[in-house]
Amino acid sequence: MTSKGEKTAILLHPDDNVVTLLRDRSKGDSVEASLGDRSESLRLVEDVRFGHKVAVRRIPEGKDVIKYGMPIGQALEEIEPGMWVHVHNCRSERYGFRQEQYGIHA
Amino acid sequence: MTTGVRQILGYRRPDGRIGIRNHVAIVYTTNCAEVVARSLHRRFPVGTQLFGYPEGCSYQDAPAAKIVAMAQHSSYAGVLVVGLGCEGADASDLAERIGAFGQTVEAVTIQFEGGDLKTIEKGSRILADLLQHASVVPREPMPVSDLIVGSECGGSDATSGLVSNPLVGLVADRLIDEGGTYMHAEPHELMGCGGVLAARAVDDAVAQDVRAAIEEAERESFESGVFHIGFGNIEGGLTTIEEKSYGCLAKSGSRPLQGVLRAYGPPPGRGYYLQIAPPGSTTYFGDSEDISQFAACGAHLAFFTTGCGATTGGLLPVIKVMANPHRMELIRDNVDFDATPITRGERTLEEMRDELYEEMIAVAAGKLTRSEILRHFEA
Repeated sequence: MTSKGEKTAILLHPDDNVVTLLRDRSKGDSVEASLGDRSESLRLVEDVRFGHKVAVRRIPEGKDVIKYGMPIGQALEEIEPGMWVHVHNCRSERYGFRQEQYGIHA
Repeated sequence: MTTGVRQILGYRRPDGRIGIRNHVAIVYTTNCAEVVARSLHRRFPVGTQLFGYPEGCSYQDAPAAKIVAMAQHSSYAGVLVVGLGCEGADASDLAERIGAFGQTVEAVTIQFEGGDLKTIEKGSRILADLLQHASVVPREPMPVSDLIVGSECGGSDATSGLVSNPLVGLVADRLIDEGGTYMHAEPHELMGCGGVLAARAVDDAVAQDVRAAIEEAERESFESGVFHIGFGNIEGGLTTIEEKSYGCLAKSGSRPLQGVLRAYGPPPGRGYYLQIAPPGSTTYFGDSEDISQFAACGAHLAFFTTGCGATTGGLLPVIKVMANPHRMELIRDNVDFDATPITRGERTLEEMRDELYEEMIAVAAGKLTRSEILRHFEA
């Protein structure tokens, strides 16, 4: 159980639209993170593990997923707050390009 | 916040620089001289550091330039160069180059002195004099804003990119805001960051330079096939190459990029720099090589973030930062700064920033780091 005031996720930059979980959480659990004046509180719509990302804002299809204040990839579909963000719904266009160019496979 | 410029007490060098440590360097010019140099180091283990040029006969400019820059470091009150006599990097030549800015430097050459034992005898007398000379170097205050700090990550895990590196990045921002200088290296761990770093560059020339440096590293990695985002990374929650690299880049903080350091000697100005090891300059393999590179660029000390628990240090005082709670329990003896309260959600990055900053000041003022106490002077 999470005690009051304890942070369950980390927000790395004020511009981020995802937070990263600091422990395994289940569907329906609330997740809190803050940075400076910005504070996020949301409910998970699915199970998410430690080290994985959760959307804190709606991210339309094709728009950037922002972590560290920088785009880490684009949403492959519309992502709602509380959803897990990972390889199933986020992809790096750059990596796709490089992969093709150099024939490297993930 | 304190008012006025904070100062620490350092050691004044002939060229006006202030060192935060006061060692004597023992430098070998070829692997053939290493045994004698090590004997001298064993005879005088307190107050000396050992490093050298691990090549045989041939002379190569890049590693020689690095060894010279390392020996000119502000932490050294004196230098003893140990050579064999027939190698490319001649001991007297290197000693002359090391002494160009007034560094106290002596040289001994095994073939000239008459073998190991006579060289050790003469070298011992010189070291005794150099250690005594070091002990009377005048102490002088140095503003914290003159500090040059390097940053390395090794034995990384998920907590490195999430906690330790962002924390060090916040400290870097504060150091830079107060007039200090900060650098990190490892372009091969900055895949996809060329655009981001170019956007932080102070001008177009620096933007082009950093873009080229990262693209070169990307090309090398993709061509060798060494780089990939692996299953373990994806299992751990990393989605893209950019995300993985940004975890490394997080230690750079957010201030403007002043330039790419491609040569040795102190950075041309203050603020944030990316350091790129000159081709062929590597004299040691592993994270400690980057610490030596920082030393050759004038850094006084370095941060070293680790998640798994890398125990290596380097010639500089290294502040080991750890944010993995489980590993912290296992490897506490080697760690200087416990960032696990952030990982456990008890403290925020911002709350712990000033504590790590204060730890940096304390180390600059003489507090020994775990790598110094445990003698992790890998080089």
